[in-house]
Amino acid sequence: MEKKFLLVSAVAAGLLSATAAFAHHGTAGYDMAKVVTLTGAVTKVDWTNPHIVIYMDAKDAGGNLQHWSLELSAPLLMQRFGWTKNSVKAGDQLVAETHPAKNGAPVGTSGTATFILKFVVNGTPLPVVGGAPLRE
Amino acid sequence: MRNCRISLPKSLAVFVGLLCCTPVLLAQTEAPQKPANSPAAPASSRAPDLSGNWAIKPGGTSWDPSDPNGSKPEQLPMTPWGLERLRAAKPPFGAHQSFEPNDPHQRYCDPPGTLRMYSYPWQFTIVQTPAQVYLLFEYLHTWRVVTMDRPHPKDLDSSWLGDSVGRYEGDALVIDTIGYNDKTWLDMVGHPHSDQLHTTERLRRLNHDTLELELTIGDPKAYSRSFTSKKIFKLSSFPMGETMCSLSEDQSFQRNIMDRTVSSPPAK
Repeated sequence: MEKKFLLVSAVAAGLLSATAAFAHHGTAGYDMAKVVTLTGAVTKVDWTNPHIVIYMDAKDAGGNLQHWSLELSAPLLMQRFGWTKNSVKAGDQLVAETHPAKNGAPVGTSGTATFILKFVVNGTPLPVVGGAPLRE
Repeated sequence: MRNCRISLPKSLAVFVGLLCCTPVLLAQTEAPQKPANSPAAPASSRAPDLSGNWAIKPGGTSWDPSDPNGSKPEQLPMTPWGLERLRAAKPPFGAHQSFEPNDPHQRYCDPPGTLRMYSYPWQFTIVQTPAQVYLLFEYLHTWRVVTMDRPHPKDLDSSWLGDSVGRYEGDALVIDTIGYNDKTWLDMVGHPHSDQLHTTERLRRLNHDTLELELTIGDPKAYSRSFTSKKIFKLSSFPMGETMCSLSEDQSFQRNIMDRTVSSPPAK
């Protein structure tokens, strides 16, 4: 699949209110009204507290490679949502949604205690929490 | 000696067994009164069964009953001292939420405080013995001991969790706690408290799958009157697990994620 970088400027307000974010540090640094869809390769996974972080390379609309860091919830909660430490591994091809950092850094939150955005690993979707997948 | 009343996963069985079978060790922290496991100790047969793993629902970041998400944290009846403390806080949630927190728990993995433990989205379990009740929290593997049917010791030293004494009233376990230090917050939105904090928790089972906490908070140094709030917990089928606060892991996350979201935007 051709690598692509899509910026979704708005998400239904109802979905956001239904998935009020909760993590021990909150979401003040993220634009929770936006969802970015990234496609690329996983370079590293930190399956650890306080939050899992997935590192991936994805190209932006201009074809420039960016090194993204996607934050998820803590391992114990992710396990209860149906993920395992092997759900995403370095080298996997990944399509992932994330709420990007407000300051434009390639950092995002893709899951907290109340939601997990869409992740498709090597063509297989992982459990989504807090609503239906936003889009392909 | 009575046996513990509930069955637990293996991961907790050893710990609970230790608690049940070594009351002498636990009694070292109590006022010098009658032995905790003496035949005169109150019978637990009248104790309501509060056993189970109780899931904490995410959200409810403030203890203000009329503002559970902390959108107006100043509306609690605060003293000037309390208001000053609130305004100095950079909490993770609510109207004053910040990604550059001065929360001692977030910055240093300090204990978050007894009342904040009820806001983290993990589980806790309740272990009832005749002389003590234990509240075991997944988060940080914090355990609280509630000594039943005795007064608070005199000349308490302040501590992170305070001194908790308990009694049964009908279907409720009532926990009275004083002796807190002033190093924690009441909740996730930065409401402060002092070492004069006095809390009363009433835990009761609304039905088999539902536990209610009614919490009354009094602190004359921080608040001009006491107030009462409630939380609901649901019985969980998940075994108890582990979620620790490791300073090295937290600092790594701070560098790799949080600091990057508050730094200047990257050059185009």
